Amino acid sequence: MRKEVLIFGRGGQGILLMGHVIGVAAAKHAGLYVTSTESYSSEMRGGESRSDLIIADSEEELDYVKVRNATDVIAMYPPRLGLYEHLIGEGALVQFDTSFNIPKDTLRPSWVKVGAPYTRIAEEELGTPRVANMVALGHFVRLTNFLGLEAVEAAIEEVVKKRWIEINKKALRRGYDLGGVEESLLR
Amino acid sequence: MARVEFINANLAIAEGVMAAGLRFFAGYPITPTSDLFEYLAVELPKRGGVVIQFEDEIASINAVIGASWGGAPAMTATSGPGFSLMLEGLSFAIMTETPLLLAYIMRADPSTGVPTKSTQADVFQARYGAHGNYEIPALVPWSAQEAYELGAKALWVAERLRVPTILLSDATLAHTFERVEFVPVRRAERKKPRVPPEEYRPYEPEDDLVPPMASFGEGYNVMVESLTHDERGYYAPTNEAHRRLIWRLVEKVRRNWRLIHDTKTYYMDDAEVAIYAYGSTARAAYAAVKELRREGLKVGLVRPTALWPFIDEDLKRAVGGARRVFVVENNIGLMYKEVARALRDKEVVSAPLIDLELPTPDQIIEVVKEWRR
Amino acid sequence: MEAVRRLRKHPLDGLLRPERLPHLWCPGCGLGIALGAILRAVKRRIEEGYLQREKTAFIGGIGCSARASLYVDFDSAHTVHGRAIPFATGLKAVRPDMKVIVIGGDGDIAGIGGNHLMHAARRNIDLLVIMMNNMVYAMTGGQLAPTTPTGLYTTTTPYGNPERPINVVKLVATMGANYVARAAVTHPPLIERYVYKALGKKGFAFIEVISTCPEVFGRHIGMRDAVDLLNALRERVVVKQRPHIDESYYEWEGGKFVLGEYVDKDDPSYLERIGVIKG
Repeated sequence: MRKEVLIFGRGGQGILLMGHVIGVAAAKHAGLYVTSTESYSSEMRGGESRSDLIIADSEEELDYVKVRNATDVIAMYPPRLGLYEHLIGEGALVQFDTSFNIPKDTLRPSWVKVGAPYTRIAEEELGTPRVANMVALGHFVRLTNFLGLEAVEAAIEEVVKKRWIEINKKALRRGYDLGGVEESLLR
Repeated sequence: MARVEFINANLAIAEGVMAAGLRFFAGYPITPTSDLFEYLAVELPKRGGVVIQFEDEIASINAVIGASWGGAPAMTATSGPGFSLMLEGLSFAIMTETPLLLAYIMRADPSTGVPTKSTQADVFQARYGAHGNYEIPALVPWSAQEAYELGAKALWVAERLRVPTILLSDATLAHTFERVEFVPVRRAERKKPRVPPEEYRPYEPEDDLVPPMASFGEGYNVMVESLTHDERGYYAPTNEAHRRLIWRLVEKVRRNWRLIHDTKTYYMDDAEVAIYAYGSTARAAYAAVKELRREGLKVGLVRPTALWPFIDEDLKRAVGGARRVFVVENNIGLMYKEVARALRDKEVVSAPLIDLELPTPDQIIEVVKEWRR
Repeated sequence: MEAVRRLRKHPLDGLLRPERLPHLWCPGCGLGIALGAILRAVKRRIEEGYLQREKTAFIGGIGCSARASLYVDFDSAHTVHGRAIPFATGLKAVRPDMKVIVIGGDGDIAGIGGNHLMHAARRNIDLLVIMMNNMVYAMTGGQLAPTTPTGLYTTTTPYGNPERPINVVKLVATMGANYVARAAVTHPPLIERYVYKALGKKGFAFIEVISTCPEVFGRHIGMRDAVDLLNALRERVVVKQRPHIDESYYEWEGGKFVLGEYVDKDDPSYLERIGVIKG
């Protein structure tokens, strides 16, 4: 198994935290090998924010530290898809936050396009858009099925500040309940 | 199983050196090194060690030297500008055969450059930066896991050979988080005197050219002498004493290279073309090699885990029957000079790819294919 | 060596490395007077059981004064120029059971090493720093020092020093050292008394010893004769019980060198604050 996961969005959406939680879950709680880099522009909010993760079940499968042919993508801010399109492989599972516009022209036919309005769900059901990232992450766990929900919960408990743990876990489970690929396909 | 964490190479270095027995850290904040310093500031005192922030890098390395003579495995960490300030102290440590570890996290290019970004511009600075004739080891990790292991090993080498040792990492690795398993490592230990104080001579080597080292406070009345000195540590400005000392300082490292080196090879058994790469750039090269193999090209990777001392015979063994060698590095083509000199009978091609992020596998693939035509 | 062996017993026998003698200090130099007084104080502390010989270290940088660390038969270090204090700080941090003494000249300690001096005093690290001040760069042949009084001639100020000398006593006091005193080679018992006292202090202790360098300093101001120079210094020296810090500035022409204990307090030391030693 070898996954190249690309998460991108805007500053303030908690992109780097998503990457870190996946990394901790994979490395410490799922027995997988992980390499991760992150990049962000200096503005705290609204700038570029991107997390790259290479996840494999053997160390030999890790090489270059950045995503080249993403197998799994979380587009937390789809309007910027064009900036990352060249990094996404054929047949990739691309997961969109449908609270935003999706640039239809950029989509490739081979991709499996899934998603849900993570930001809206977070806002309306959980009371804050700040946990949209965890809703998306819960959905990611369900869609990709290579990290156990328990592993990700354990990572959240380790990484997130104590008073935010419960709401984050709640958001995670909400995302998980959004269903598998079949139920989540974009039309 | 050993503890596993998801951490970057800087923190992995910190964990590795603590596992090897680090007891003292002195430093001055500098990007991209400070998280290593901050992490040790939290963790080392819990294990009985001391961490001090000094007024500059000059003080930092000299404090490390003092602590080392106090018997403590000791280190500092810095980047290019700070290393430039440390060179005088490094030369002093070389002359006085003071064990210390210097974690050197390379960033981009002269002066302030791009502090948060990476290159491999300082591989010669690590070798030749200080004044005087000398040879010191420089180990070069390519992952966070290896940063843990080579950090521990570099501290061990420093103590074992009584030599300042450099761990040469870079900003890319400093910002790369990976699964790191805290595997057991060797404790860093120096050879202690086996004779009573009245017979002890602090610079008298054994067969391996390394003198046993008495620390301060042990009753040996040791003499730390920065001047050219004889085996007692007394100033000896004669040709004979000077040659004897300088050649021993150099040969001590060269002859014991097997304690330092562990050159790795990948897909080299039947390789006709080899890529020589080190550190973070080797990660891109490894990806390129795999891809070229899938296309049927007989390409392999040679990856030194220590750049210095440069051992020709070790490189020749690793390169084996490959006819052409590409030296891929994130600088203007520095190690190429050494590789080309060592492999005079082969076609050695320099591929200098200066990139603030990291050369990409595609760039490397392009270079190799270009030469195939 | 033969000459050394034939010497009769000296009170400081066993504290020096006779095989390193003769020393490099010129005839008439004040440094030997100072080292003798320092070692007498150390010897007393050892005889009283307060210091242990094998747990006492001497650290020097580069310069005539720093050479003292090579002549004493203790754990000792001849470090690079200006860096004796950082070396000593690292040593003391991992060997809090040791007494670490730095001896250096004014150029070594207050010139190239001035930043380290300032921060070591601010840190109140448990060291004794003895700065021999001969007001000139002697080993390199008589160049300007940061301590050279205004107007005096050196090889690099052939028209007279246009700068003011650094007031190291005041600097170190301002930075918060626990003990700051000034002595001079004209009054060896004072050196001994201050060193003896400073050896019992926690935190940063600093003693400036005004010394004479007839060969290099004296030569350029027309006082090549050792006795003349010593007398010239004696005329300018004033001893006070507890001088005020504002009395510490000196000049050569019409000025005074006020000797005495400027600071003597017991603020928590660095090693106490980090819990390495108990307060």
